[in-house]
Amino acid sequence: MTSLFEGYEPGPGPDEMFAPGGVVRPAYRSFVDQMGRWDAETYVHRQDIADIETMNGGITFTVYSDDAGTERIFPFSLVPRIIAPSEWRRLEAGLQQRVTALNRFLTDIYSEQRCIRDGVVPAELVLDHPAYRSRMRGFTPPLGVYAHIAGIDLIRDSDGVFKVLEDNLRTPSGVSYVIENRRTMLNTVPDLFPAARVEPVDDYAEHLSEMAIAVRPDGVPADQVRTVILTPGAYNSAYFEHSFLARQMGVELVEGRDLVVDNNRVYLRATSGLERVDVIYRRVDDDFLDPLEFKPDSMLGVAGLVGAYVAGNVTIVNAIGTGVADDKTTYRFVPELIRYYLGEEPIIPNVDTYTGWREDDLEYMLEHLHELVLKPTDGSGGYGIIVGPQASKETLDAARLRVREEPRKWIAQPTLEFSTIPSFNGERLEPRRADLRPFIVTGESSWVLPGGLTRVAATRESYIVNSSQGGGSKDTWVLRAEPPGTDAEAGGA
Amino acid sequence: MLARTAENLYWLGRYLERADNVARLADVNLAASTEQIAGTAADAWEAVIATLGAQEAYEAAQAQVQSQQGQHQQQAVALSGSSAVLSPAEFLIFSPQYPNSLVSTIGRARSLARESREYLSREVFEEINRLYLSTARASTQQQALPALYANVKRSVAAILGMFDNTVVLTEGREWFRVGLFLERADMTARIIDTKYFVLLPSLHDVGGPIDRYQWMAVLRSASALEAFRKEHRGPVTGRRVVSMLMFDRNFPRSLAFSVAALRRHFERATAETPDRRVVRAAREAALIELDLRSANADNVVSSGLHEFLDEYEARLNAIDLALQEDIFRARPAGTDGEPI
Repeated sequence: MTSLFEGYEPGPGPDEMFAPGGVVRPAYRSFVDQMGRWDAETYVHRQDIADIETMNGGITFTVYSDDAGTERIFPFSLVPRIIAPSEWRRLEAGLQQRVTALNRFLTDIYSEQRCIRDGVVPAELVLDHPAYRSRMRGFTPPLGVYAHIAGIDLIRDSDGVFKVLEDNLRTPSGVSYVIENRRTMLNTVPDLFPAARVEPVDDYAEHLSEMAIAVRPDGVPADQVRTVILTPGAYNSAYFEHSFLARQMGVELVEGRDLVVDNNRVYLRATSGLERVDVIYRRVDDDFLDPLEFKPDSMLGVAGLVGAYVAGNVTIVNAIGTGVADDKTTYRFVPELIRYYLGEEPIIPNVDTYTGWREDDLEYMLEHLHELVLKPTDGSGGYGIIVGPQASKETLDAARLRVREEPRKWIAQPTLEFSTIPSFNGERLEPRRADLRPFIVTGESSWVLPGGLTRVAATRESYIVNSSQGGGSKDTWVLRAEPPGTDAEAGGA
Repeated sequence: MLARTAENLYWLGRYLERADNVARLADVNLAASTEQIAGTAADAWEAVIATLGAQEAYEAAQAQVQSQQGQHQQQAVALSGSSAVLSPAEFLIFSPQYPNSLVSTIGRARSLARESREYLSREVFEEINRLYLSTARASTQQQALPALYANVKRSVAAILGMFDNTVVLTEGREWFRVGLFLERADMTARIIDTKYFVLLPSLHDVGGPIDRYQWMAVLRSASALEAFRKEHRGPVTGRRVVSMLMFDRNFPRSLAFSVAALRRHFERATAETPDRRVVRAAREAALIELDLRSANADNVVSSGLHEFLDEYEARLNAIDLALQEDIFRARPAGTDGEPI
């Protein structure tokens, strides 16, 4: 029998499982001991069982381009990301710190705007931002929480340091896969788990429910809070997650047409008549929430919802107008916002980013364009990106001109190498790049789901972990501290 | 509960019951056509198509296939020996276009389950999903059909059992049952009606072997043959079968049983619903039950079984309409001047 780990060749970046020289990192030791007994055949067999379970569970997405009704499961790898206790404690503190600062920032820009007066952030960046909702000026949601649910994307760079790649503060998705991936692992490979040492993830919904109670509108008794989840509908690609969260929280999953606003109060169309709704966890974008306020042709929203919201009769989770804080350019300023609002140094650094909004950044961008990746701030899905090291002199010259013309429309970052985790390619394990999206739930305080969604690239060469590009996911284990007297814990890298 | 979800669960109950009935009808038909007792195979399929009220849809689907093949043949070399018609099994079991085919029915049940998943237990959803995946991939070969029917029947039975044992007793579960029993009340009546007016043998056949075989097939379609043997010592006759399938309050697929269950679950589902939303459906259900209580096999057969069933079906349709208009899709109070 050939062990799965025999002949494994790490990639160019750091490997989460193996330190240089092929030594297994401490967090992975118990796991490698167990899976090291498998050969490729064992892996394929176990993976089949896991895939059948996932398919039967309906944890699928629809491939629109294929024949009608073709459903696929997201590729799922049985090799988890494992995070050592000490490293997790640091990440947890860093994520709480970041979300706290972002919520303070959002409260500020919709009320006093101190950060603008004090010159921390340029006024136009905030006030002219398409996601800035001037309608919300002067309204502060309960507890000053805007980003009740945040998903912060992290990567481990070539120095082995976790850095923030992106903040997701609107309707971050993926948490259902975290919980389902764990369930699949426990059902199909229970033998790989180190005894009672992995932090559970299945109490996520309870934290959501507690948060909903904490941010309920004034005057609603804590034991009578009616929460619903608002979905765009069954054809939305994240519908599985909406339905999953409704089940986990034990609340109704509603569409816009199921709600009605009367006299600034929101009601649910029930079999028994109309019933009051207090908290709406919406998975519908701002623009579609209320045809009276935003897109008038939206069929997904509820007419009058914003009126009920600013009257304080319903809490919307996440708040309206958070999009200005998870923007590519705002990202550049988050470390400063942490220092400004909290008087602390950021615990998790940003990836180096240069924006045309700042003179010093702009100068650096223009000088070092050949070694940077240039991105338009209004683009998504990789459109308009120029990769400096691969670009011709002509392309770079043209790019410099465009940056000089409209400097505020560009950001630049160094080319990033990031860490890999072994993944099975059908025959053997090979390194695949992976990111990590932890989820932070904020009510009275911020709670971080241990671990998060680990997304992996589809091939050995790829840097793209998005599921739309064929990427898959992994379970993420946060280890508990070992009992005293055993092997000392150590960082994953 | 959310009115839209209540409606979804109601239709989930209806579609699962319909799938089960289509599978049972087709299964019995398969046996009959294999043994070639009840006329030709085509006759037996014709009866199933009539039971489902699908004659027109079947003819239209056949015409469409024929015209497509006609066009095709003009362009290419005609395939020798290829039949231009859509077989009854291709239509009733596998056609994605015909909404009541077995695969369509199961597909719709699964979509509804997906849309109301927060009301179902994991077990129930997964079994519905498994049923959907296995039928969507099922072989269309003649010899694979019995296994397909068996799979559907077993799976629907498993879903109902899981519903009883894993879904919390809430309003949603009652709406599922309302749909299930309304569909069953409808299907069993259709099965009886078909035998009488499509398969009716010529007068001299009444009581003969073909007649008896057909009544046995009716019992099998309703999974009632063994129950019949336990309840009736004598031979299978039309009157006895009618008596059991319509009036036996202890047989779970009879009209009397289905309607009583429909009323019971409707009352539970609407326990907290204002009377003005409930009254129309409740009245129709009470009237149907009264009709069934005040009749028996002898008098319906002599005074006109078909007419009786026609009126019965009309009342079932009235209940369905009342549910849609008064409960599932009612205009909310407040938007039309009523107080909230």
